Amino acid sequence: MRPSPRRSLFLLLTVLAMVAGCAAPTATQPKTVEHIRLPMGYIPNVQFAPFYVAVDKGYFAAEGIELEFDYSYETDGIKLVGAGQLPFTLASGEQVPLARAQGLPVVYVLQWWHQFPVVVVSLAEKNITKPSDLTGRRIGVPIFGGASYIGWKGLVWKAGLDESTMQVSDIGYTQVAALTQDKVDAAVCYANNEPIQLKRMGKSINVIPVAEYTNLVSNGIVTNEATIATRPELVRAMVRAFLRGLRDTINNPDEAFTISKKFIEGLGKDAETDAAQKQVLAASIELWQAPQLGASDPTAWQTTVTVLKQMKLLTGDVSADKLYTNQFVDEVNK
Amino acid sequence: MAVWQKTLTNAEPSAKDLETGATRLRPWTQAALVPVTLAGFVGLWALFVRLTSYPPFILPGPDRVWVRFLALAADGTLWRQAVVTLSEVLAGLVVGMCVAFVLGYLLSRSRTVERLVAPYIVASQSVPIVAIAPLLVIWFGTGATSKILVSALIVFFPILISCIAGLRSAEPDLRDLMRALAATRWQTFTKLELPAAMPMLVSGLKVGATLSVIGAVVGEFVGADRGLGFLVKQGQGLYDTPLMFVAVISLVVIAMSLYGLVALVERYLLAWKQ
Repeated sequence: MRPSPRRSLFLLLTVLAMVAGCAAPTATQPKTVEHIRLPMGYIPNVQFAPFYVAVDKGYFAAEGIELEFDYSYETDGIKLVGAGQLPFTLASGEQVPLARAQGLPVVYVLQWWHQFPVVVVSLAEKNITKPSDLTGRRIGVPIFGGASYIGWKGLVWKAGLDESTMQVSDIGYTQVAALTQDKVDAAVCYANNEPIQLKRMGKSINVIPVAEYTNLVSNGIVTNEATIATRPELVRAMVRAFLRGLRDTINNPDEAFTISKKFIEGLGKDAETDAAQKQVLAASIELWQAPQLGASDPTAWQTTVTVLKQMKLLTGDVSADKLYTNQFVDEVNK
Repeated sequence: MAVWQKTLTNAEPSAKDLETGATRLRPWTQAALVPVTLAGFVGLWALFVRLTSYPPFILPGPDRVWVRFLALAADGTLWRQAVVTLSEVLAGLVVGMCVAFVLGYLLSRSRTVERLVAPYIVASQSVPIVAIAPLLVIWFGTGATSKILVSALIVFFPILISCIAGLRSAEPDLRDLMRALAATRWQTFTKLELPAAMPMLVSGLKVGATLSVIGAVVGEFVGADRGLGFLVKQGQGLYDTPLMFVAVISLVVIAMSLYGLVALVERYLLAWKQ
């Protein structure tokens, strides 16, 4: 007996539905997106390109993270993470032992800047080419604290300088003006900022990188013990998404610069500014290069703790291995 | 009592008159209330810390702040830094006061000049001092000069306004009297205008004295390697909140002491008003 047309149609539709059901990906619950406010520690800048790239390309979204950039101070970010109010912040490495010494349970989980960026810059006419040339000079630091000052102190210690022979003063973030107006002979700053500005002004300069004498821990991602203990998958997600953005930025700086324009007010509006900022990005990328992106260097941590103790900013027992972990970087890179 | 003093005294009620019988306390009672209220405040603070269990880096208890204070006092740090800030405050107050007084006198003499100059003065005051301070550091360096200038700038306006209002507050009848008696400009200023302006001048000075502390601290925040403002910044950078508290409380003590000093000067200069 031949099947009726209606029955045949029913059978056909059933088979088609079964085939479609097999081909389609298994239905999953949509990933809940977690909104995370991330203190950046500085103003919007091309130096944050890896984050901008990771957000723009959906790397954070793929991990279920909706990132909000908060351009507040580094110390505020550390306090909020230490208090459990935020899961992550960006901070320079020396902030972690200083914070832990005061009871803040913060942990450094990813080293972003592999090379310590602090340098001592001077105009060429001052003939300051090595640390010993700084003896008897006027030195400007942006602030008596933070990475710049710790870096300066690290250089003084490692190079065996006598700071009492120098006149060290707080000049705020006016290094370029202070140098060009001869208010100081040398200024402490970041390698990817003021030296570039001075060169673009046509000034001939000398730069003494602190990292050539002692490599301290620089900027990275910091979380707290509670987040590591109760939400390791979130830490892993943050690390994974950021590392993807970092790799893309290192491999394609032009694309990263273009993406950064979406996040930085005023970028892309002036050719001169863009040219300068491209140089900043290029100089920053050099500082980010590492044998294994994201991994902390134990020696750098030990040196950082030693310098802080030399400065009497750290008293008591602060164990370097409690300050950081490479656990999540290693897991992500497996 | 001089005629003008009597006129002023009759016209304005004294502070004593404003107090009712219910609120007027004996001097020894008033003095005893100060440590009692202070102890109450400290007790509330300690209780709040205990109840909320905030970690010390967010809100230290009074015991931690006291221990930190003792350590800073013992090694001389607190005194050294306080002297730096106090010298900047006093210098800023004197500079601001002198400039305000001279300009205030000139503006009080001529409404035309006041109308011409006042908009610029008001505009200058609307620029946030935290925006000007870094410029002053660039122009005048990171030494005491920039801090004194910031302090003077913040003190200038309230004293200027009280100076203008005070110098104009002399009764027109008394001015006519001085004119009728053929008083010279100097005599009119020293025997009428200045004494008449004194209550308002002192009020402006009270406001200026407390603001001068803010000015010095703002200057130290921008660029300094010493002073109580520097200590606050250092405490912030080291997550040493008890250190910040000690520095802030020291600043409060300085401001209150200056206010008290001006109040004492007021009692002496304006004894006829009591």
